[in-house]
Amino acid sequence: MIKNKALAGITVVAALLLAACSQGTSDTATGADEGTVAEATGTKPAPFDAGPVKIAIVQNSGAGDYFQQWTNGANKQAEAIGFEVQVYDAQADNAKQATDMETAIGSGVAGIIVDHGQADTMCPLINKALDAGIPVVVYDVATAECAPQAVTTQQSDASLAQAVLDQMALDLGKDAKVGYVNVLGIAPLDRRHVVWEAIVKANNWSQSFFVGKFTNSVATDNAQLVDAALKKSPDVVGIFAPYDELTKGAVSGIESNNLQASIKAYGIDISNADIEIMTKEGSPWVATAGTDPNAIGAAVVRNMALEIAGQLGVKSVDFPGVLITAQFLKDNAVKNMVDLRAKLPELNLASVSGADWIPAVQF
Amino acid sequence: MSIGKTTATTGFDLRDFIVKYGFILVTVILFVWFASTEPTFRMQNTLFSMLKFTSVVAITGLGVTLTMVVGGLDLSVGATAGLSVTLSAMTMVIYAQTGPVALIVVLLGGALVGLFNAFLIVVLKIPDLLATLATMFTIMGLKLVPVDGQSVSSGLILRDGSVAPGRFTEGFLLIDRAYIGPVPLPVAIFFSLAFVVWIFLTRTRWGRVMYAIGSNPEAARLAGVKVQRYRALAYVLSGVFASIGGLILSSRIGQGDISAGNSLLLDAVAVSLVGTSVLGMARPNAWGTTLGAVLIGIVITGLTIKGFPYYAQDVVKGLVLLTALIFSFTLSRRKSRFVPAV
Repeated sequence: MIKNKALAGITVVAALLLAACSQGTSDTATGADEGTVAEATGTKPAPFDAGPVKIAIVQNSGAGDYFQQWTNGANKQAEAIGFEVQVYDAQADNAKQATDMETAIGSGVAGIIVDHGQADTMCPLINKALDAGIPVVVYDVATAECAPQAVTTQQSDASLAQAVLDQMALDLGKDAKVGYVNVLGIAPLDRRHVVWEAIVKANNWSQSFFVGKFTNSVATDNAQLVDAALKKSPDVVGIFAPYDELTKGAVSGIESNNLQASIKAYGIDISNADIEIMTKEGSPWVATAGTDPNAIGAAVVRNMALEIAGQLGVKSVDFPGVLITAQFLKDNAVKNMVDLRAKLPELNLASVSGADWIPAVQF
Repeated sequence: MSIGKTTATTGFDLRDFIVKYGFILVTVILFVWFASTEPTFRMQNTLFSMLKFTSVVAITGLGVTLTMVVGGLDLSVGATAGLSVTLSAMTMVIYAQTGPVALIVVLLGGALVGLFNAFLIVVLKIPDLLATLATMFTIMGLKLVPVDGQSVSSGLILRDGSVAPGRFTEGFLLIDRAYIGPVPLPVAIFFSLAFVVWIFLTRTRWGRVMYAIGSNPEAARLAGVKVQRYRALAYVLSGVFASIGGLILSSRIGQGDISAGNSLLLDAVAVSLVGTSVLGMARPNAWGTTLGAVLIGIVITGLTIKGFPYYAQDVVKGLVLLTALIFSFTLSRRKSRFVPAV
C-alpha cells in the first residue's frame, strides 16, 4: 500500500514535471525555429567559392526572447551561406563587449556583425576593424556618424509606425479624438513619435492626452496612467501606444474603464503574448505592426555576405515592418508566432538583401 | 601539526609539490591546450586583449588582497568601480571638465569610499563583511541620484531641459586605448601595480605589519602596532585600486554606463582567493592575485573562443575557485587564516 502510494506520488510528480517542461517549450516555441532553406541558383563569388568563411557576431546580449530568435535566425542563415560563426555574448556588459570586439578583430575573421551596444563604446573599435580591412555590419547601433564606413541595419521604426497608423487613420477617419501613450528619449520610440505627429496633423486629430513612463514594469505602470487619463477623457475613440508593453498598459486601462466597445488600441511589436491579447473576444487592441526577429537575424547575415563579396553597394539597410490586424489573426485562426509566420509570409524578409547565390532561410 | 611531521620526508613529496606548483601547472596546461587547439588563441592580439580584459578584475583584486591581508574583505569594490564610471562621466560630460580633473575626482572618490569603510569598521566596530556590504548597496544607489538613474553620455538631456555640454575627452579615452610599445596601457598599469603591491607587502615594514595583523591582531597590538590605522589604510587603498579599475572601465565604455562594475565584485574576490593558493603561500599575496586573474582570463577567453556558453564559463570559474580553496585550506600544511569571521 505504502509502495503504491509512493509510486503514485512519483507518477504525479513526474507528470507535473513533464507538464512543466512541455509548457516551457511551447512558450518558447519561437526560440529555435528550424526554418527552410531556399535553393541558391547562382555561383558563389570569392571568397565563398573556396570553403567556409569565418565571421564573428559580437552581441551586447543574447538573452531574452527577442535576441534568442535573432541569434537563431542569424545562425541558420550563416550555416546556409557557408559561414563559420563565432558568437561573442557580452551578457549586457558593455565593457565586455568592447573586449569581445577586440578579440574578434584579432582573430582574423573575414567580417564582424555587431548586434546592439553603445555607439560610444563600439564606434572606435568598429573603425579599428574597418582600418584592419574587416568589413563590419551593425544592427541597431547608431553608428552612421561615428563609423560611416560600417554598414548599418535596423528594423525600420518609421515603416512600423506608418503601417499601423495608416490602419488607424482608415478606421477612425478625420477629426477624431485620440489618446497617446509613449515615452520620449528612447531612440526607436522617438522615431515612431515623428510618424505619429505627422499622422495626427494630416488627419486633424485632437490629442486628448499624452501619457507614458518607462519603468521596470511598463505594462502595469502605464495601465494606471491610461486609466487615470480615460477618467478625464472617456470620449477618445482611439489610443496609439507604439511599443507592445505600452499597448498592454493601454488595453488594461481601457478595460478597467469598461470602454472597450468605444475605444480601439493600436500598438507596435508582436509576440505570442500579444497575439493572445489581440485575439481575445472583445479586445480593444485591433492592430499592430511587427517584424520577425528570426528573419531580421537572417537578413543581417545576408548583408554581411553581400558586403564581404563586395556586392552590397549601400551603407544602410532598413527592415520594413508588417501590419497585423486582430481581424487577420482571427480570420486565419492564428494562435502564436509559428502560425503567424505561416499565414503572413511578408514577415520573412526573404526578398530583402538577397542574391541568386545566397540560399535565403525562411521561417 | 603532528600530521605534518609524520608525513614530511626528505625526498620528493607529491602533496607539497601539488600545493606549491599545482596552480601554475594548471595554468600552463590550460594555456597550452587552448593555444594548440585554437589558432586564434595564440595570436598576440588575443593574448593582449585577454590581459586587457583581465586588468580591471586584477587591479580591483589587488585592492581586495590588501584588505584580506589585514584579515578583512572589501565587498564594496565593484560598486566603487561603478561609482568611478559615473563620477568620471559626470565630471567630463555634465560639468565639461578635462580628463585629468576626472581622473583626480575618481581617485578621490575611491579614497573617500575607503575612508567611509574604515570609519564603519574601525570607529563604529561593524564587522568588515557587513560594513562593506552596506557600503556596496549604498553606493550602488547613491551614484544614480545625481544622474536620475540614467547612463551619462554626450548629448544627455539634463533635468532643466538643457543638453549636457561636455564629452569624454580624447585623453581620457586613451587610458584604455593607448599602447606602450605592443603592450596595452591597462596591462602596463596592472603589472606595475602588482609589482608595487608585491614590494609593499613583502619588502616594507608596513606590509609585514599588515600580515602580522591578519594572522593575529591581538599579538600585533601587544607588540605596539597601531592595528586600526593599518586596517583603515588597507580599505583606503582598496577603494583607490577599485577606482583605478573603474577608470579603465569608464575609458573602455566611453560613457557613464550605470551597470558598469556590477559583475566585478565576485571576480575580484575570486582572483584574490585563487591567489592565496599560488606557490603554497596559503595567504593573500600580490603575485598570487595576478596569476589568479591571468588564469581566469585564460579560461574565459579560451572557452569563449571554443564556443562555450557563458554559464559553462561560470561553472568553470567556480571549479577553479574551489580547487584553489582546496589547495589553500585542505592540502596546505600552513594554517590558512585570511577570511574574516562575521
